[in-house]
Amino acid sequence: MSRVTVDATGLSCPLPVVRTREAMEEGATSLEVLVDNPTSRDNVARFAASRGAKVEIREEGSLFRVLIDLPGEPGSSSSPAGQAPLASSSGTVVVLSDDVMGKGDRELGGLLVKAFLNTLSEGDNPPGKVILYNRGVLLAVEGSDTVEPLRRLQDRGTLVMACGTCLNFFQVLEKLAVGTVSNMFEIAETLMTAERVVAV
Amino acid sequence: MGPEDLKRVLKLLPDQRQAEEVLVGLETPDDAGVYLLDEENALVHTLDFFTPIVDDPYLFGQIAATNSLSDVYAMGGTPLSAMNIVCFPCSLDMDILAEILRGGADKLREAGVALLGGHTVDDQEPKYGMAVTGKVHPKKILRNRGAQPGDLLVLTKPLGTGVLASAIKADFLTERDATDAIQGMVTLNRKASEAALRAGARAATDVTGFGLLGHLATMLPERGVGCELYLDQVPYYEGTREMAESGMVPGGAYRNRDFMKGRLDVAEGLDELELLLLCDPQTSGGLLLALPEEGLEAFQEAMEPDGFFRVIGKFTADEGARITIR
Repeated sequence: MSRVTVDATGLSCPLPVVRTREAMEEGATSLEVLVDNPTSRDNVARFAASRGAKVEIREEGSLFRVLIDLPGEPGSSSSPAGQAPLASSSGTVVVLSDDVMGKGDRELGGLLVKAFLNTLSEGDNPPGKVILYNRGVLLAVEGSDTVEPLRRLQDRGTLVMACGTCLNFFQVLEKLAVGTVSNMFEIAETLMTAERVVAV
Repeated sequence: MGPEDLKRVLKLLPDQRQAEEVLVGLETPDDAGVYLLDEENALVHTLDFFTPIVDDPYLFGQIAATNSLSDVYAMGGTPLSAMNIVCFPCSLDMDILAEILRGGADKLREAGVALLGGHTVDDQEPKYGMAVTGKVHPKKILRNRGAQPGDLLVLTKPLGTGVLASAIKADFLTERDATDAIQGMVTLNRKASEAALRAGARAATDVTGFGLLGHLATMLPERGVGCELYLDQVPYYEGTREMAESGMVPGGAYRNRDFMKGRLDVAEGLDELELLLLCDPQTSGGLLLALPEEGLEAFQEAMEPDGFFRVIGKFTADEGARITIR
């Protein structure tokens, strides 16, 4: 596939990164980004690396060519615009629809879900996405002891999505401490296109 | 403007033979000027304005006002009155300007500061800020310099507003995602300033455009006192690191870093990005204080129940007056 050229000379940050992302969203997986200052060079290279791309920089006088090659995974462009890039390669989606794990004793269930998220966040293969709906969204609000492991997951590249309708229902939208507010369209699409869904 | 350019321009000013009432003037890199009135009273003067860093005009007004007041707090002073400075395009909806001004006025009311007037200029890009006048006891001025070896370095707001503003501009984040930082930017430094005075802080400044390292450098004398920074204690607003890794480091962070390079003693293998984050230009940043260790408890008490702060380093005896990052 031929390289798509993005001419970002004369632009200052964050525009070169914005142009690069736009080209990627239009489907380009092999790009050459032209920039004329070290700040833009570093930022574009960092952005591409955060998307899992192979990056090479060629310097020609005051011009820098940033060569970017994304791993060509068809169908992997489902991450919504504006979202943090997925560092995790795992296509696994974990669904939590309650703030406890398992039916039965809720106190025990609370301990279990915390242990579960801790284990996930420390494991070798963090899931690509965690979806929280119904009482599950309470796991991600201020004061919950599962915020920490969810943050760790997020730091490792897991996209944590909390159902906005549910946050509103429990009146905790303003207290969301980790993850992004999502909607049923996004949640349904994520579940339908997931490689594997683990419902807890 | 970057620190290097500013230094060069100020050097070109003719020598200002200062009246003896000028307690703090151009000769030191302090946050505000201080003019002596009598034994008990001195006036604090400062001016600050900038372009919008968030889309919501009311929030922008609040942030600009908080930022303008901060310089008075950083001198240990109490702001009294303020004048608006506005640049605004005639072609834009005047309701937007009204919202900006409402944000500023609300923040002044919270701070107990009187709005006396202002000035408006037609300009292509909106800009807003204030000239603020305050008072300070001439013997209780918190200058930038004054730290002694052994003093703790205290920071009263997390860092990262430069990176996050960049990410908002690039649509990588919405303002909702940056609630944490926006909340920080509209928090007055009043409480921190009062706590610093009560706890016997020896020096203070606020973290703004030159970033943490740039402003820390203004606290160090030419020689004799350095500072050791505890890298793992430096707080960042939520999302800062992630956005920096996604290429959202603003140009100002690079300029600040280049300016600071000669004064730094950096641990081998320190990540490039860590250093840039320490140089991230801040808007309405927190106070940076030199606090004697025995004052920490009083400071903590005065910041209760919800005042944020972290001890992020310690001043050292160092002939080279360097900043050590470990």
